[in-house]
Amino acid sequence: MIGYVEGRSPLHRAHPYTTLTLAGAVLFAAFAMTEPFTVWLLVLAGAALAATGGVLRSSARTALILSLPIWVLLFVLHGLLGGGARVAAGPLSLSATGVARALVLGGRVTAIVLSFLTALATTSPHRLVEAMTARGVPFGRTFLLASTLTVLPRMRERATRILEAQQCRGLRLGGSVAARVRALGPLALPLILGALAEVDEQVLALDVRGAAAADRRTALDPPADTAVQRMVRWSLLVLVAAAYAWKFIRMRG
Amino acid sequence: MSGYDLRIESVSYAYGDVEALRGISLAIGAGESVALIGRNGAGKTTLTRLLVALLRPAAGRVAVGDWDVAGKRPDEMARRVGYVFQHADHQLFARSVREDVAFGSRRLGRREGPVSEVFEELGLAEYADVHPYDVPAPVRKLVALAGVLAMEPGVLILDEPTAGLDRPQRELAVAALRRRTGSGVTVLVVSHDLGFVAETAGRVVVMEAGRIAADRPARSFLYDAGALASLALRPPAAVEIGAALKLPGAPIRFQEVAAAMRGVRWKEISE
Amino acid sequence: MTALVSLAGVTFTYAGAARPALSGVSLDVTAGEIVLVGGAAGAGASTLLLVATGLAPRLVGGRLTGARTVAARRCGIVFARPWTQLTGLCSTVLDEVAFGPASAGAPRDEVLAAASRALDRLGVAHLARRDPAHLSGGELQRVVVAAALALDPDLLALDDPAAELDPAAADALYAMLPSLAATGTAILLATPDVRRAAGVATRAIVLERGAVVADGRPAAVLPVTEVGALARAAGCPVPYPYDVPALLARVAPDASRRAHDTSDAPPAGSGPDTSGTIR
Repeated sequence: MIGYVEGRSPLHRAHPYTTLTLAGAVLFAAFAMTEPFTVWLLVLAGAALAATGGVLRSSARTALILSLPIWVLLFVLHGLLGGGARVAAGPLSLSATGVARALVLGGRVTAIVLSFLTALATTSPHRLVEAMTARGVPFGRTFLLASTLTVLPRMRERATRILEAQQCRGLRLGGSVAARVRALGPLALPLILGALAEVDEQVLALDVRGAAAADRRTALDPPADTAVQRMVRWSLLVLVAAAYAWKFIRMRG
Repeated sequence: MSGYDLRIESVSYAYGDVEALRGISLAIGAGESVALIGRNGAGKTTLTRLLVALLRPAAGRVAVGDWDVAGKRPDEMARRVGYVFQHADHQLFARSVREDVAFGSRRLGRREGPVSEVFEELGLAEYADVHPYDVPAPVRKLVALAGVLAMEPGVLILDEPTAGLDRPQRELAVAALRRRTGSGVTVLVVSHDLGFVAETAGRVVVMEAGRIAADRPARSFLYDAGALASLALRPPAAVEIGAALKLPGAPIRFQEVAAAMRGVRWKEISE
Repeated sequence: MTALVSLAGVTFTYAGAARPALSGVSLDVTAGEIVLVGGAAGAGASTLLLVATGLAPRLVGGRLTGARTVAARRCGIVFARPWTQLTGLCSTVLDEVAFGPASAGAPRDEVLAAASRALDRLGVAHLARRDPAHLSGGELQRVVVAAALALDPDLLALDDPAAELDPAAADALYAMLPSLAATGTAILLATPDVRRAAGVATRAIVLERGAVVADGRPAAVLPVTEVGALARAAGCPVPYPYDVPALLARVAPDASRRAHDTSDAPPAGSGPDTSGTIR
């Protein structure tokens, strides 16, 4: 659901910086947009990105699941409880401006989540590390970023094994809310402490192999970067800046 | 406490496209002590997971005593089967070793008694109030074992229980298992440690590529050098000695070999 | 010969610990030695490895008193769990093993050559293109040792390296150590697997509650192994043999008085060949 998925799409083959810039551009542009129409254009752009990466179905599904609680909240907060002129929608009385606001805020969240899921799914941590190493970024920072990308699948796998062990000790999963909350202790502690203990060992093992070395690391297989991609990245930055400029001009005027 | 018999009837299981178990059948009587042996990927772990309802068979039936596992959850199976996973770190979480050992038996609503007894039995007294993650790794394994023993299950399934343990600790584990077998608990051990198998198991089931390749008494298996070699295993020291010295009775346990060697004369050597 | 690592009266206490993990430890490790650090769990063997390689207190915290001189250019360390020692970021074994030399900033060709050499030494060159995530425990641990060796350490510390391995893989790992030591690497080995370790160690020290209580030849110094206990129970005089060949060598020729009683004896030809060495 969340994390890298192997593939050969244009996004997979692109330089990792390009993929991340695309996702970042959607993020910043989303906040520059204020109309439902433009925000939803961005959502469509995010979906197009996901399709290009060959991960449209899984990303869309995960994005919907993740943003659903926010949608419900926004709908209640702005749609049902908002002020201004009301509009009837079946048995409900909705605020027109509220609904518009909900669409903008919800759309932003959806666009951002969708584009980031796509970026995660199409950026191999390995290639990202190589790209950053080739640019001279110290290993500590690349490791931090790349590990963050892989942490969820690792944690999920670990959590599954822990839950199995605890079930075999009589811990019942599911049940009442109180029961579920009680079950967190036997899950959370081994998850976190075990992960920390493993990190401890990993830090020691990698340190002697030079992870903390001051020398510039040799990149073994840096991903190819093209002039076209560099241009695309710069253009995106310019576009985003322009979107903000437009927003401020409109706010003034 | 008495044990339950285990019945696996024509069971198949696949992980996606990969067949892990191909229509196998196995019957283990109540109170038997069986070692499950085979290379990685042979299906041993899959088999044990089926017994505690962590997996559901694609075909066939799995039963523990009069319970059909198909209708049970793992936490329900915990009432009858104590499963000790290979990596203790996946389950220790309480603030102290004592609390962690008591966790399982509390879940089942059992009395306090067994917890203290098991504590002493596995030599954990000095670690009673220490946080589980502050004790050495091998001791954590014993804590995990203690936690399961304290639940007083009728069946014990252990996955590589002696990996990382030193000799005194292994002896504690052997003694604990023998005590349970003596009182009728059914024991199933997955282990490469043939010395441990020799000390605790009466029967060996060999698995290969999802099938049962052999099912024979431990004694005859351990003295079959060819069978061991084909599994890339070496006989335990006691058996090597028994075979080299042609000791009568095919002894496999420490005490048996020591007794059989009573007539041996030794060369003196100076240091 | 100068010591690669020299500890004199070293006492080390972990941060927040009530008592020291190491007390007044004095130890010199020279090139080509394979030193087995024995002792019960928690006696300080792992800590000694961390102190000798300079990882404690630098990365681990804690307080160290006493004199420590490290003449080794580089140290390597290998822990019991293979998968926690990977970067997790390399898609091939070759890249993983090349991590060390790459961190030193060497040119790409040199880096890949050093990595290939290390893989060859461990006999896992055939795994170069494989994904570390899909290897078995035994294969992975050998990759990890290769990764530690890729930087040509003078001192290699191994903390229960075969704990997660099946018997064949464990045997193979230990069997490789003497040839490694022969190239001049000093090896510090901590493990409860006394039988395998004693077979390759040139020297053994025993720790008890952080203090060295014995230091000498493995057979003389190590606690009695299972084989030794068996010999002792069968009336063998000291010193007790520590593995099966040693025991068989101690048995006087006409010892087995029931050798010709075949009624209960194991089937002919079923005994293992003990004429070769166990290791």
